[in-house]
This record gives sequence, structure tokens and C-alpha cells, in this order.
Amino acid sequence: MQPENFSPKDSLQLIDQMINQAKNRFSENGFLYLLWGWLILFCSIGHFVLLKLKLVAHPEVIWASCWLAVIFQVIYLVKTKKKETVKTYSENIINYIWISFGICMFIMSFILGKSEGWDKVYSLFLMLYGTPTFMSGIVMQFKPLKTGGIICWGLAIISTFILPEYGLLLLAAAMVAAWIVPGYLLRKKYNQQNKPLQNL
Amino acid sequence: MEFKELDPILHSQLRLAVMSLLISVREAEFTFLKEKTNSTAGNLSVQINKLKDAGYIEVTKQFSNNYPQTICKVTKKGIESFEAYVTALQTYMNPGG
Repeated sequence: MQPENFSPKDSLQLIDQMINQAKNRFSENGFLYLLWGWLILFCSIGHFVLLKLKLVAHPEVIWASCWLAVIFQVIYLVKTKKKETVKTYSENIINYIWISFGICMFIMSFILGKSEGWDKVYSLFLMLYGTPTFMSGIVMQFKPLKTGGIICWGLAIISTFILPEYGLLLLAAAMVAAWIVPGYLLRKKYNQQNKPLQNL
Repeated sequence: MEFKELDPILHSQLRLAVMSLLISVREAEFTFLKEKTNSTAGNLSVQINKLKDAGYIEVTKQFSNNYPQTICKVTKKGIESFEAYVTALQTYMNPGG
């Protein structure tokens, strides 16, 4: 600390440097994108194969594995929250975007169950997957997520032109584009996170 | 343009670094500030107390997993003072403007 040499120019440089340190801090390691991306990819392809081969009476039971992932995610989030040393405004917004997504998924499943409109389920899921993915990309300024979100919406429209069962394959493709590829890119970016720039 | 007086609380490297970090986030733990400013715990603790006494930041102490945690958050007064400090700095950078 040498206040005597601390000019207004130094002050502005320091402010700029510190704001960039906080701004460039990348807390998203992509883990949950990868967990859900791979799980839904596995479930959708598994469901499609079981359906086509007519191996079981209710191939949709494969989706029950998502409940295990929900339990795992809750434990993971509780553990990581304890280790957090900083809370940012953007992380807060992203958390609420995904909470809203979870609630919408639940309500939509409930509505579809009541109205017996399961033939539209994959189109609607694809549309819903696109929204939080695109919004997270906007908040994080992370292009792969924005692109992934747009791909989900495109696939949602395409899904209306094909037989409902092939929607499962579109779901698998959406997972690769929206969560798996961005998940690995997020992990890479996280590992390259900035270090302190200078000694004060 | 007249040179505006620089707030002595903020015109110190470590205190200004801490305020610049806290302006950018919702709240931060002592360990985050220590890591980002690369300062010593003793010095950082002294400067945080000065910012707290000036009413620029709020400091909350709590326990997590039996470890003490110090969480810092910028106050409204802190944001206003920081903005005034940056405005004052600009008078030095563009004296003719």
C-alpha cells in the first residue's frame, strides 16, 4: 500500500481492474447442464428404443430416473452453496430463471395429464427447454447457450411436422445442442478462470 | 472545471479495491475479497472496518460448518460515495472538460 503514489489515474485503473475481476469471475462449471443433458439424452433415446422394439409395456417409466437426479441435484446445490464465497446479481437472476422453468415443467405436465394432450408433449418440452437456456445465455453473455436455446425452439416447430414418437429423437438432439455442448464449454471456461492480477 | 476533493476513505488502494469489488456483486465473503485483492488478512480486516465505520459497507459475521464467515455488502451510502468519488476523479482526468 503506497497512498503517496496513488494518482487519480491509478484509481481509475484499479476500479476498472477490480470490476473486471468480479465481472469475469465465472462461477458456472457446467455440471448441472451436463448432468441433465446426458440424463435426458439417455432417457429420450432409451424411451425411443424401448418403444420401437416393444420390449416393455410402459417404456415411459425410464423417465422415473429423473427423480434420482432431482434428489442428487438438491444435495449438490446445498453442498456448493456452503462453499460459495460471493453472490452475484447475475447468478441470482439465473437461479430464478431455472426455478421458474422447473415450476412451468411441473404445471405443464399437470395440464397435459388432465387434458390427455400427450401427443404435443415433446413440442412443448422443446419450447420450454429453449427459454431458460436462451435467457441464461443472455445473462451470462455466453453464446453457446443462446444458440442452444434457439435450436430448441427450432426443433419445437419441426416436431409438429413429424410423428410424436420421433419427437424423442429431437429431444435428444436438443440436449446435445442446448446443454451438453454448452456444458462442456462452460466447464472449460470455468477452468480457465481469472487469477488475481496484481499485488496490492 | 474545478478539481473536486477526493473522498479520503475511498482514496486508498485496498479500500478502493474492496469497494470496486463489492459494487459489482450482491455480497462477498472476506476470503473472496482477500483472494481478489491479494492482500493480507490483517490489513484487509483493518480496511474493512474503516469502510464499515464510514457506513459504506455492511459486515455480517456468521458460522458455516463451524467456521466463522465474514460477509460484506455495499450500502446505499457506499454506492453514492463511490459514484461521487468516480465523478471527482473525472475532474482530474479531464481538467479542461
